[in-house]
Amino acid sequence: MVDAARQPRVDIRTFTEVEQVEGFVGNFVVTLREKSKYVLADRCNGCSECAKVCPIEVPNYFELDLAPRKAIYVPMSQSVPLVYSIDMDACIHCYKCVEACGALEAIDFNQEDKIVQEEVGAIVVATGFSHFDPSVMEEYGYGRFSNVITSMEMERLNNSAGPTAGNLIRPSDRKNPQRLAFINCVGSRDKRYIESCSNFCCMYSIKNAVLLKQANPDVDITIYYIDIRTPSKGYEEFYDRAREMGIHFIQGRPSMITEDAETHNLIIHSEDITLGRVIEKEYDMVMLNQAAIPQPDQNHMSSVLNVAQSPGGWFMEYHPKLRPMDSPTDGIFFAGACQGPKDIPSSVAQGSAAASRASRILLSEKWEIEPTIAVVWPERCSATTRGRACGICAKACPYGAINIFDVKDPAEVVIAKCHGCGACVAECPEDAITQLHYTDAQILAQMRAVLADKPEEKILAFRCQWCSYGGADLAGTSHFEYTANERGLRVMCSARMDSDFIYEAYRLGAGAVLYSGCHPQDCHYITGQLIGAKRADRLQRAFERMEMTDGRFRVEWISAAEGDKYARVLNEMQATLDSITPEVLHDEIERLKPEMEKRLKKFPGVPGVSESMEYSDTLVEAILKAKETE
Amino acid sequence: MSDSTTFQSFAEEVKAIPGGEFVELCFSCGTCTSQCMIQQKVEPDYNPRRLLKMVMMEMRSDAYNSPTTWLCSSCDLCYPACPQKIHISGVITAVKKIAVEQNQTTVIQTAVVNQQTCVACGLCVEACPYDAITLERARVPYRGELQVATVDPGLCMACGVCSAICRSTSIKIPDDYSDENLIDALWGWLNRQKVTF
Repeated sequence: MVDAARQPRVDIRTFTEVEQVEGFVGNFVVTLREKSKYVLADRCNGCSECAKVCPIEVPNYFELDLAPRKAIYVPMSQSVPLVYSIDMDACIHCYKCVEACGALEAIDFNQEDKIVQEEVGAIVVATGFSHFDPSVMEEYGYGRFSNVITSMEMERLNNSAGPTAGNLIRPSDRKNPQRLAFINCVGSRDKRYIESCSNFCCMYSIKNAVLLKQANPDVDITIYYIDIRTPSKGYEEFYDRAREMGIHFIQGRPSMITEDAETHNLIIHSEDITLGRVIEKEYDMVMLNQAAIPQPDQNHMSSVLNVAQSPGGWFMEYHPKLRPMDSPTDGIFFAGACQGPKDIPSSVAQGSAAASRASRILLSEKWEIEPTIAVVWPERCSATTRGRACGICAKACPYGAINIFDVKDPAEVVIAKCHGCGACVAECPEDAITQLHYTDAQILAQMRAVLADKPEEKILAFRCQWCSYGGADLAGTSHFEYTANERGLRVMCSARMDSDFIYEAYRLGAGAVLYSGCHPQDCHYITGQLIGAKRADRLQRAFERMEMTDGRFRVEWISAAEGDKYARVLNEMQATLDSITPEVLHDEIERLKPEMEKRLKKFPGVPGVSESMEYSDTLVEAILKAKETE
Repeated sequence: MSDSTTFQSFAEEVKAIPGGEFVELCFSCGTCTSQCMIQQKVEPDYNPRRLLKMVMMEMRSDAYNSPTTWLCSSCDLCYPACPQKIHISGVITAVKKIAVEQNQTTVIQTAVVNQQTCVACGLCVEACPYDAITLERARVPYRGELQVATVDPGLCMACGVCSAICRSTSIKIPDDYSDENLIDALWGWLNRQKVTF
């Protein structure tokens, strides 16, 4: 930290809150609130004379409230920057510190919060994690029994810079405990509190046990666990070493802790799974390894940064496997546990990755994005035609790339934020948005081409670029046989599969339509699949009402690895088509055509569509014309 | 299960019964066993965690012959403690239901009626918390055909309430929990504590 502070190009702002983040990749404007420390940073030299005379003592949060601090303080002696600050909630305004500071005149009681704006190219979020409060788990008695402490508190007690100068004592009688127990998974892996695994606690408790055992080989240490998870390099060997040192491991989650009223010793009640017996063992002190939870203000931070949260409350990454350090918003990156609980090596690795990602932006003059971005025709937007923007596009966009600053103004796409899923394009009720390279007219031209000849025999398969298209590819390269009547159409995401396309396909007389995309958890556009799935549901219900033969419209989520599923689904669809006699199918298609036409009333009005119905090759011109009018 | 052509695993069968749905979520942490009031202080083989495992591992006969199946009183002390929110007593009741349907009988010592002395007053019928006792007509040696209390061993949990309330000492929990043994144990305890009257 000291090294970082000495770097001329590193600017550390402590005691500062991010109030607002605006802009996009390369051009963020960040509004910061620099809270007043009541001490002038450029004058304070960290001599600590003020703290010596301060009469007020309050618990020090850095020492987990195990030690006191003054009202004018630094949380620890190695703080960077070494500038004191006054806790105004505790200060009694005796001004003794002002006297002590003397000629330095570093203390200013009139200092006020400063709001500053900074222009930045990229943002790395490293807000870390917080700890689950074990006092809500009454069975472990944290807060009731003085000798039940958290492992973090134990770390402070065992730290040579901590409140006891590294002398591990137990709180009830300040004696050195001889029998110690660690309990893992306190609050984590628990559907009542935190469902997920906290990732590092197994290694963390083994590390603490080894440290204590090394310092004093006579202590008896037991670790209670459900499963020991040592997946990384060298971890299992470390676990082996801990057992060789004589640390006991008991597989079994303690059901409760009771206290001996006289000695304040603790009795842990648990089952030893390996023995199948209930055991009750007495300890001098018990350490709880609490679950890691998101920071209490993570929700606020997520709305400030406009990045989504995963189910547990952590920041959501762009892709869990391929881009774990990127946020869905270009130019914002994650480092460490704010994205999910992780141990030190993983945090360091992710931090370095995020830094190199960020420098890639800072070092480039131009930033390339996918060309398949959405473009709004302002004259078609309901803000222009009806005087009020409906906002459906902004709600659909998984990236928050569509701005509607005023309901009277047409929607605007922030090109740098758009990832080109096409959700807004398909959702827009006015057909006022188009997606470059996947315009309605272009897709329509493809549809008309493949359905030109004997459409009732064809199965039109809409596939998303990332999963289903890959699935179809795999079916081909793996030589899975499937029906030759399949005609595939690629769009970027199932969210782009406009209901107009499906109606138009049936109007043109398609035998069957497959609506396929990624599995919900695999969507490459965060929530794109959900939008697509919702629409598919609506379509399915509409076709049910129209009494369309079951199986002529099918919705399947097929990943790029499921080539066999793709082939199977298509063969099943072919079998459905084969089971209907051509006359019946012909009658049904003719019966439904007026229904489809009714639903497609507005479709030919979309720029380029009516032209493409006549000449597919005038399409490009049409877009250009539409762009010119923009 | 009557249809022998369709194979249904033990776990599926248990999951189909309300209360047994989440049996497969168990990750064997042992909280239920150490939380249990009856547990191994009374019966060394009593272990809800193992019963859940037996269900998952298709060990039908072991599950039917496990005292866990028959001893659980559904006090639900383990339910709020379970980190996977499994309704453990629901699973055990489901196993018991399947066992009874398959004509399995209890492996614990249930209440026994002395038909020679029973006067069919019906006190035990009212007292039984498990509705395990009914008054039924039976042919009793030396007494002829008359009404006596009858215990359903599938329902009886051997709590001993009937034995305590019976005025003619006609209903008893045999062996360890007979009146004689309990009085012996009580005296033993009083002597050990050096209690004098």
